[in-house]
Amino acid sequence: METLLQQTINGLSLGSVYALIAVGYSLVYSILLFSNFAHGGFLVIGGYICYFTLKSLGFNIWVAGLASLVGAGFSAVLTEKLAYKPIRERTNVTLYLLIASMGMSIVIENLFVIIAGGRFRALPAVIPTHPVHLFGVATTSAFDIISLLAAVVFLGALQLFLVKTKWGLAIRAAAYDLRIAGLMGVNVNLLISIVFFVAGLLAAVGGIFLSVRYTLYPQLGMITIKAFVAAVIGGLGSLPGAVVGSLILGLSEMLTAGFISSQLRDLVVFSLLIITLLVRPQGLFGKNISEKV
Amino acid sequence: MSGYTEGIIILLCINAIAAMGVSLLTGFTGIFSLGHAGYMAVGAYTTAILTVEYGVHYVPAILLGGAMAMVVAYVIGVPTLKLMGDYYAIASIGLGEAIRLILENWQSVTRGARGYPGIEGYTTLYVTLAFFAVMAFGMFNLIHSRFGRAFKACRDDYIAASLLGFNTARYRVLSLVISAFYCGVAGALLGGFLSFIQPIMFDMIKSTELTSVVVFGGLGSMSGTLIGASVITLVTELFRPISQYRMLIYGAILVIIMVLRPEGIMGQYELGPRLFRRLKDKFSSQKREPGEGRSSS
Amino acid sequence: MNLKRAGIILLVSVLVLTLGTGAALAADTIKIGYLAALTGDWAAYGQTEEKTALLAVDEINAQGGLLGKQVELVVYDFRTRAEDAVNAVRRLAEEDKVVGIVGANGSGINIATAPLVNRYGIPQIGTVSTNPFVTVDKNGKVRPYSFRVCFTDPYQGKLIAYFSAMELKKMKAAILYDVGSDYSQGLREFFMKSYGEYGGEVVADLGFRAGQDVDFRAQLTEIRDKQADVLILPNMGKEMALIMKQARELGMDEIVFVGGDGYAEFMWEIAGDSMENSYWINHVSPDDPAMAKFFADYKAKYNDECKEFVNGILGYDAMYMMFDAIERAGEADPKLIAKALSETKDLQLHHAVITMDEFHNPLDKDGIIIIAKDGHGQFYMKIKPE
Repeated sequence: METLLQQTINGLSLGSVYALIAVGYSLVYSILLFSNFAHGGFLVIGGYICYFTLKSLGFNIWVAGLASLVGAGFSAVLTEKLAYKPIRERTNVTLYLLIASMGMSIVIENLFVIIAGGRFRALPAVIPTHPVHLFGVATTSAFDIISLLAAVVFLGALQLFLVKTKWGLAIRAAAYDLRIAGLMGVNVNLLISIVFFVAGLLAAVGGIFLSVRYTLYPQLGMITIKAFVAAVIGGLGSLPGAVVGSLILGLSEMLTAGFISSQLRDLVVFSLLIITLLVRPQGLFGKNISEKV
Repeated sequence: MSGYTEGIIILLCINAIAAMGVSLLTGFTGIFSLGHAGYMAVGAYTTAILTVEYGVHYVPAILLGGAMAMVVAYVIGVPTLKLMGDYYAIASIGLGEAIRLILENWQSVTRGARGYPGIEGYTTLYVTLAFFAVMAFGMFNLIHSRFGRAFKACRDDYIAASLLGFNTARYRVLSLVISAFYCGVAGALLGGFLSFIQPIMFDMIKSTELTSVVVFGGLGSMSGTLIGASVITLVTELFRPISQYRMLIYGAILVIIMVLRPEGIMGQYELGPRLFRRLKDKFSSQKREPGEGRSSS
Repeated sequence: MNLKRAGIILLVSVLVLTLGTGAALAADTIKIGYLAALTGDWAAYGQTEEKTALLAVDEINAQGGLLGKQVELVVYDFRTRAEDAVNAVRRLAEEDKVVGIVGANGSGINIATAPLVNRYGIPQIGTVSTNPFVTVDKNGKVRPYSFRVCFTDPYQGKLIAYFSAMELKKMKAAILYDVGSDYSQGLREFFMKSYGEYGGEVVADLGFRAGQDVDFRAQLTEIRDKQADVLILPNMGKEMALIMKQARELGMDEIVFVGGDGYAEFMWEIAGDSMENSYWINHVSPDDPAMAKFFADYKAKYNDECKEFVNGILGYDAMYMMFDAIERAGEADPKLIAKALSETKDLQLHHAVITMDEFHNPLDKDGIIIIAKDGHGQFYMKIKPE
C-alpha cells in the first residue's frame, strides 16, 4: 500500500511537468491544427538560457527564470515567423508544417550540440530538493511540491488569460475557427505570435524543472514526445484534456515501472496512444473530429 | 571503384527501396505515415535471425523478412487505417515506436537493446543493385497500372472514390502492405550491409528521414522519390567528417525545402519524355513577345 | 523552375564527382584510426580520449615517430551509436587504410565492430570495453584482431562482489543496470555469480534504459522497500549520477553506492553531495604518482584537468600499446601488427605493466578502489580477487 502511494506521488509529480509541456503543445494545435514537433526545442532553449544566466552571469533564479521564459517565448515566435508563416500562407497542407517542425526540432537540438557541447550540465540547486516525508507513508522531495505548485500557478494564469482578457477571447475564437476569427477583425498573425509566445513560455517552465530534476542536455526535448502522447490522450486542442492526459500518463508510467517492469514503461505509453486512437480518437475531452477528406 | 564508393551506392539503393515503399503509401495513396522504420526493423531482424540462427540462405531470408513486415503491417494496419489524415500519422508514430520497443524488450530472441551482431555480409553491390532493379521495375509498373490509379483516387478524393465504387479500404490496406514489404526488404539489406542491427537504428528519426525523402522528392512522383533518396544519402555521407554539422544541415534542408518548395523537387511529375516535352513547351512559350496572347498550361 | 531543376542535376553531378575522386594524397605516414564518442551520451568520455590520444601521438612524433615515419591519427565520432562505429570502421579500413584502430570505450560498440575488423584484418584495441565477448566469439574462440587494454568484466564483477561482501560487509545488494549495454549486462551477471559465492543475496535486480530513462524513482522505491544495504551500479554515464541523486531525494540515506569503471568526474556536477562516500572499482587512480607527469602534460597542452581520467589514461596507454606493437612488427602491416599485439609481454605502460593472455586480455591486472570524497575521486585501496 505504501509503495502504491509512493508510486502515485511519483506519477503525479512527473505528470505535472508533462502537463506544462502538453498544454503549450495543445494550444498551438488548437489554433493551427498541426503538431509542432519543435516544441521540445523551446524547452531546451529555456533550459540553457536559465543555466547560462545562473552560472555565467550569476543572477538569481528569479531573474534567470524570467530571462528563460521570455527568451523561449521569443524563440518560439521567431520559429513561427521563419519556418511556419511562409508555409502557412502558401498552402493549408499541414504535413508540410509537420515536416518543417521536425526540421526545426533537429536544427535547435543540433545548434545546442555545437554551441554547448555534449557535456551534461546540471542546474545549480536553486530549487530545494531535500526529501519531504508525507505522513510517514511516502516520501517526496520538496522539488516535487514546488514543481506541482508551479504547474498549478502557470496553468491557472493561462486559464485566467484565456477567459478574462481580450486576447484570450480572440484565441478561443480562433481555436474554434481561425478564418472566421480573422474575418471578424482579429489580427491573425499577431494572434498566432502570441500563442507561440505563450507556448514557448510554458515549455520553458517545463524545461527549467526538467533540467533541475534531471540534467540539461541538447536532447532533453525528446521528452516532448511523451507530452505529445498525453495531449492526444486528453484530446488534442483541449487544454484541460492536456492536463488530465499528462497526469494519466505520469501515473501509468510510474505504476508500470514500479509494479510490472521499468522496461515496459515506454511500451505502455505508446500502447495507450494507439488504444486511444482506436477507441476514442478525439481523446477524453476533444471535440468530435470532422472527417478530414 | 573503391569499397567506399560501393558502400555509398549500396546505402543509396537501400534507402531508395525503402523510400519507394513510403512513397507509394504517402505520395500515391495519401496516407501519411511516420512509423515506417518499424517495418524496416521487422525485416532486418527476421532476416538476421533466419540467416544467423537457422542458416537460411540470404535470398529467401530477405524475402521472408519482407513478408514478415507485410504480415505485421496487415495485422496492425487493418484496425488503424480507418483513422484519417493527421490521426493516422500520430498512430503510425506510436506503432513505429511500439515495434521498436517490443524488439528491445524481447531479449531472448533479439538480444534486446544491445543489438544483434555477426550478421553475414551478404549485401554486396550486385545483390543490392539486383534487388533495386527488380523492385523499382515492379513499383513503376504498379503505379501506372489500374492499382496505381485506384491508389491515386483514394488520395485525391476519398469520398468520391468510394462513391465511384472503389473499395477504398481494401486499396489502402494493399498499399500499406506493399509499402511494408519494400521497407522490410530494405531493412534486411541494411542488416547484411552493416553486419549489425540495433532497435535504436529504426527509431522515429529514421521514419522521419523516409517521409522527408519522399516529400522532398515530391509527393506523387516516384522518380522524385529516387532523386530525393540520392540527394539525402549523398548529403549524409559527404558531411560525415563534420558530422556535428551534418544533422544541423539536414534539419535546415528540411525546413528550407518546406518553406521554399513544399511540393518537392518534382512536384507530381515523373522524370521522363513527357516531362521534357512539357519543359520544352514552357521554354518556347516564354520566348514569345509579352502581350502576344497567353498559352494555356 | 527549369533553373532550379538544372541546378539540382548539377549539384548531384558535382557530389558524385567529388566522391569519385577518392582518397586524398597518400602521405607517407603511419595511420592509426581512433573511434571516439565525441557527441552523444558518452561525449565527456570520448572527447577526453581524443585529447589523450592526440597527446600520445604528439609525444611519439616528437621522438621521431614509428619505423621512421610520422604517426597520423584519424579520429571518427561514433556518436555513442554502434551503427556509426560500424560505419566508421568501414571508412577507416577502406578509405583511410589505417593499420590499426584504437577505441571504442564501450563493450557494445566493440562487439558490433569485432566481426568487421576481423573480416578486414585490422587490429582493434578497446580502451574500456570490458565485456569478454569483445575478444572472444560466442563459441569461446579468440578473435585474432580484437584486443583490449583494460581488464574484463568477469574479473571486475568479482572485484565488485568481493569488495561489497568482504570489505564493506554488505550482504543485501540491489542492482540497477542498463538493459541496453553489453557492458552493464555482463558486469551484472558476473557480479551476481560472485556475490552469491561470497554469501551475499541480491534482493532487487532492476533495469533501465540509458539514454532514454531519466527518472528512476519507480525502481528506487522498490529497492528501498526491499531494504537493500548496497546499490550496485554497473553502468556508464549520467544515469548513475541521477540515480544517486534521486535515491537521496527519496530519503534513502543509508544505502551505499558501489560502481565499476564507469566512474567519471563529470558525475559530480549532476549528483553533488549524494555521491559522497560512494565506491568505484577502477583501472587507475587519479592520484597515482606514476601518472603525475601525464596529468601535468595534459594540463599544459589543453589547459584543463583530465576529468575523465580512466578513459584518458587507458586511451593514452592503448595508443602506446599500439605503438609498441608497430615497432615490433617492423612493418606497417596490420596482420603483423596484430601478431605483435598478441605477443605483448611485460610492456611497461604508464599506468601498469601489460602482458597479453591467450584471449587478448591483460593478465592479472590490479583492481583499484576509488572513493568519491570531497568532490573528487581518491585512491582507497588496491585489491586482487581471491
